[in-house]
Amino acid sequence: MTPILAIAGNTVRELVRGKLLYNLLLFAALFVAGSLLVAQLTVGNWVRIILDMGLAALQITGALMAIIIGVGIVAGEIQRKTILPTLAKPVPRWAFCLGRYAGLVLLLVLNAAVIVALLRAVLWLAGYRLEVTALQAAALICVEFAVLAALAVLFASFSTPILAGSYAFALFFIGHLLPDLRTFAEKSQSAAARTVARGFYALLPDLELLNLKSQASNLLAVPAAYVWRAAGYGLGYAAVVLALAIFIFSRRDLN
Amino acid sequence: MKEAGAAGRGRPRFLFWVTIPALATIRAVGTALRGTVSVVGFALAVTAVAMLRTSAERRAPADAEFELDVPPIPGEVARALSFGFRSLLADFTLLEAIQVLPQRHGNMTPEAAAPLDRRLFRLLDYTVEVDPKFAGAYRFAATALPHETETGQVFGVLSAVQILRMGLRERPDDWHMGFLLGFLQSYYLRDFPSAARSLSIAAKQAEAPAWVGLLATRLAAQGGELQLATALAEAMLAQANEDATRKEWQDRVNALHMEGDLRAIEEAAQRYREARGSPPRSVQALAAAGFLPELPREPHGGRYLIEADGTARSTAGERLRAYGLYTRFEIH
Repeated sequence: MTPILAIAGNTVRELVRGKLLYNLLLFAALFVAGSLLVAQLTVGNWVRIILDMGLAALQITGALMAIIIGVGIVAGEIQRKTILPTLAKPVPRWAFCLGRYAGLVLLLVLNAAVIVALLRAVLWLAGYRLEVTALQAAALICVEFAVLAALAVLFASFSTPILAGSYAFALFFIGHLLPDLRTFAEKSQSAAARTVARGFYALLPDLELLNLKSQASNLLAVPAAYVWRAAGYGLGYAAVVLALAIFIFSRRDLN
Repeated sequence: MKEAGAAGRGRPRFLFWVTIPALATIRAVGTALRGTVSVVGFALAVTAVAMLRTSAERRAPADAEFELDVPPIPGEVARALSFGFRSLLADFTLLEAIQVLPQRHGNMTPEAAAPLDRRLFRLLDYTVEVDPKFAGAYRFAATALPHETETGQVFGVLSAVQILRMGLRERPDDWHMGFLLGFLQSYYLRDFPSAARSLSIAAKQAEAPAWVGLLATRLAAQGGELQLATALAEAMLAQANEDATRKEWQDRVNALHMEGDLRAIEEAAQRYREARGSPPRSVQALAAAGFLPELPREPHGGRYLIEADGTARSTAGERLRAYGLYTRFEIH
């Protein structure tokens, strides 16, 4: 456990020193603060615009961080050969992979907490409060980050940084289209197309299950049972993907 | 020797005292010149840029008419391609619709307002297609789409009704949907049974004010749907847990029973007149002649009377009518 914690702590320290985190945080802060101005263009209900823009800023910055940093902490290290001194110490590869991933997820959660605090402040300035559904939506967005980070680490374990990033971004977009793939599978006349679509639907991450932004901005209550199940699905998927990443990474020739 | 000495130190004294200051002066002049040239050049560049901008602005082609319209992608596709940001996309199309509304002036001819109406409807329809749960968009559609002219013509009501029907389907939890739809159906379309049904859906929501249910029953009574009105009033009475509310709903149930009795009496009086050739003298006469199964009991404790023109009334309560709904509009 100690090497994992040490690597995770080191990853957080290393990433906190980087410029990407602060640039994306600044973007998110401007976006959230800007929602107060955009909200003035609408009639009546400001809370919706503020929540929509705030949660979108949270998701965009977090997804970018999860993929870019997730790829960099494994594939980047392999490419720069900076991984070799770490692995020369008595650190198993699985511990390296898990530690790097844990550090990244911790950083993403911290980043989300900062943005949610900012969103709460903006809502307070506009005379609204942060409802439970918005917190549920933010929590599921964090689960989505965990899935994306795991996918980035998986692709980085056998590919170059650019390719790994491209694959992870593609899965981010596809993951949000999966309900339509399911509809296609249900409506398709061809049995082969139905089977293929169902296969992809089962295999790929359904990120729309983790998307409660619309419910949050429409102030619609979401049952806690759904949130727990969706979070469980996301975290379980991330764990499976990470296990696969560790399996591939453990067998990879780093020279 | 001196010269040799001077040559040995590298530079003759004369040259040191005369040439070095001269060179320094020349260098200073050169620097000053370079600085001046730089400043003047910069000023010239700024002036040239300003002049070019003014000149370009003067020669700029006329602005193309910028029309806020729905994106060329169908709403269903846009919802999928928004990659989870559909409510944000819906916000922006609603904001576009809000920008279109002020372009429609009160003194615009229907022909001039028609393109704006179409654009407004398309934007709002697109908004709710992208995010069907967007209650604010439905409410905005109900107020922004219908507009009247001084000649009694009304535009946009049918579009608003279409959008609100979807709102009632998607957001039945929001009492405004049923209320706004009921208002449009009763005020503009004079479709009282439909309005009563819409209002009764609104009245069943926990957050709906009590008057929504009362209005629903009044409209149902006016529209001839007494069964619906009575069922709604009795349901509201059953769930009312405050004395004042219970009394209010009990009064409404009584009034609806009274309205039912009065209609039965008027119908029997009509049949009596057709059979006997003269109007009945009293309600008791109607019952005695077998045109009413029994003498109806006035629920407020009063009596029923028949007027000379055959209309029935109660001595204890007024009949339920929806007032202010007599304006007839020409719907487009």
